[in-house]
Amino acid sequence: MTAAATPLTPETEAKVQEIGETDVLVGIPSYNNTDTIGHVVRAVSAGLAKYFARSRVVLVNSDGGSSDGTPEAVSRAVVDLGTLLISEQQSPLHKIITPYHGIPGKGSAFRTIFEIARRLKAKACAVVDSDLRSITPEWIELLARPVLEEGYDYVAPYYLRHKYDGTITNSIVYPLTRALYGQRIRQPIGGDFGFSGRLAEHYLEKHVWESDVARFGIDIWMTTEAIANGARVCQSFLGAKIHNPKDPTADLSAMLVQVMGAVFALMEEHQPVWGGVKGSNPVKLFGFQYDVGVEPVNVNVDRMISSFRQGLADLEPIWREMLAPGTVEGLLPLKDCPLQAFRIPDGLWARLVYDVAVSYHHRVMPREHLLKAFTPLYLGRTATFVLETQGLTSSEAEGRIESLCQAFEDRKPYLVERWGAGRE
Amino acid sequence: MKEFWEKALLGPLETLSRSVLSVLPNVLAMSIILLVGLAAAWSIGLVVERLLRVIGLDHLTNRLGVNAALTRGGVKADPSHLVGRTVYWLVVAFAVLAGLGALNLQPLNQFAQSFLAYLPRLFTATLILVAGYLLSNFVSQAVLIAAVNAGIPPARLVAACSRWGVQLVAVAMALEQLSIAQNIVVVGFGIMFGGIVMAAAIAFGLGAKDLAKEFLEQRLSNKSRDRAPDDLRHL
Repeated sequence: MTAAATPLTPETEAKVQEIGETDVLVGIPSYNNTDTIGHVVRAVSAGLAKYFARSRVVLVNSDGGSSDGTPEAVSRAVVDLGTLLISEQQSPLHKIITPYHGIPGKGSAFRTIFEIARRLKAKACAVVDSDLRSITPEWIELLARPVLEEGYDYVAPYYLRHKYDGTITNSIVYPLTRALYGQRIRQPIGGDFGFSGRLAEHYLEKHVWESDVARFGIDIWMTTEAIANGARVCQSFLGAKIHNPKDPTADLSAMLVQVMGAVFALMEEHQPVWGGVKGSNPVKLFGFQYDVGVEPVNVNVDRMISSFRQGLADLEPIWREMLAPGTVEGLLPLKDCPLQAFRIPDGLWARLVYDVAVSYHHRVMPREHLLKAFTPLYLGRTATFVLETQGLTSSEAEGRIESLCQAFEDRKPYLVERWGAGRE
Repeated sequence: MKEFWEKALLGPLETLSRSVLSVLPNVLAMSIILLVGLAAAWSIGLVVERLLRVIGLDHLTNRLGVNAALTRGGVKADPSHLVGRTVYWLVVAFAVLAGLGALNLQPLNQFAQSFLAYLPRLFTATLILVAGYLLSNFVSQAVLIAAVNAGIPPARLVAACSRWGVQLVAVAMALEQLSIAQNIVVVGFGIMFGGIVMAAAIAFGLGAKDLAKEFLEQRLSNKSRDRAPDDLRHL
């Protein structure tokens, strides 16, 4: 069944008609990003000029109604190709600056980008965040060329990050996605992706644009949808990702509700796909890998452990509802152990995440309560990771994440068995 | 002597027997109504319970968390059985009222009419109490989780206060529906709720003025927290 076409503004329609068709399309969703979007547009323009000089190229800015002049900043941003020693560009860069319709959120912005890609019959597309400070022209090549020339459908980013940067990705999303779908995609919720025009059409046909996917969760949805539908998937090494800090007051539990809610909802949809997958396979990584200094990250382990212990003291009855009895028993010794001995082992953590997924599936309590009650557990595991990796380099810490992933894969039969069983 | 017997003893007995005989058909009618009513109550209750099981009411309420709330409240029966029993007792109540009506006695008729007029209020009050109970469980769980995540030490106390607050409101509303001492309930509730809010405000003002100051400073001046030098990026 084909979904109805996404409405575009008359100006955008006219622009699309004028352009006709394109080879490469790069989309930038935005909302009040006037500080950073100029740099992103210049990097994209330079990347398209340098690496796709003979291709027809389009840049799309899908804006959520910014009040700080973001669309004007996009329009003003030009790059001096001469100073970049680029002289070969043969086709002009078309810019489409359009507002998007629908529920406010990154997902709705992407929907408009997908629709423009469909109408322009784009062969390869890429989307990059508008708050990036570390984007370079090479990113565009690394995200689009595997699609255009190597026949891949989906390109996930591979960043260099500090060992304590992206802890939800490292302790939950990456190990879980890898164990479920058997593909080792290191940054499944990276935010910057490449994909084929065919995959963009597939995304458009899914009826998710009135759901939470339109607001948040678009990143994990795109990755999971690509893997679950058998798309050819690869990764590209993009170096360090430095972007404007998110709202520092953003609530961690709200973040967990969004990310884990999206992952678990996708598990429900794709159970027939992941139910039979065993082990995992490496995913091709493009790009020249190098080491780079990353921003230091301060952590307060005491505070994380005290949050966990308060959870154990006050939320134990709720945890007993959402976790298997053996899992809760495994947590009890952490109530009063010395700080340096505080550990939630890999195996216990894997079982715990699987228990929460099963409880989400069986609706043992309101789902928002379930995911929010998970916050102290997550902080406990993050404290464990920090204590275990103190003094290790980021690449050594990566070894710890690898063994965590192995624990998730080893315990997958436990998930499959409990998922299929009725509510206890 | 014979005349005395007829007037003094047999006369009243005859009158009594006539009265009894005149009431007897009504008593018989009442008994039949009661028996039929009990049989109807039993079968309707059973049919309703079975029907609800077939359409999966228990599964639905389980997903909504109602079963867990009932278990926490000490109710072991599932919702289908509860509704079935409620229907049973409603039909029994109607049968009893209809039976009493069949006696055709003025005071009983008045009582039956008053009771029937009162039933909607009783029903609404019961609904308010049940909804209040379920809502209080939901709210207290949400408050407990939020308080723990915010690192508030007396999280359980805060959650318990929210639970009792919601239940208090529900009881006050139910009593008002039942027209039981309406003014006393409203005034009592106002005094109690106002007292709780005032006590909390005084306790916070005296006991947590530093916390309030720190909170307001952070909010107004956007200063970072000294005690949390943590810049973990979770995503």
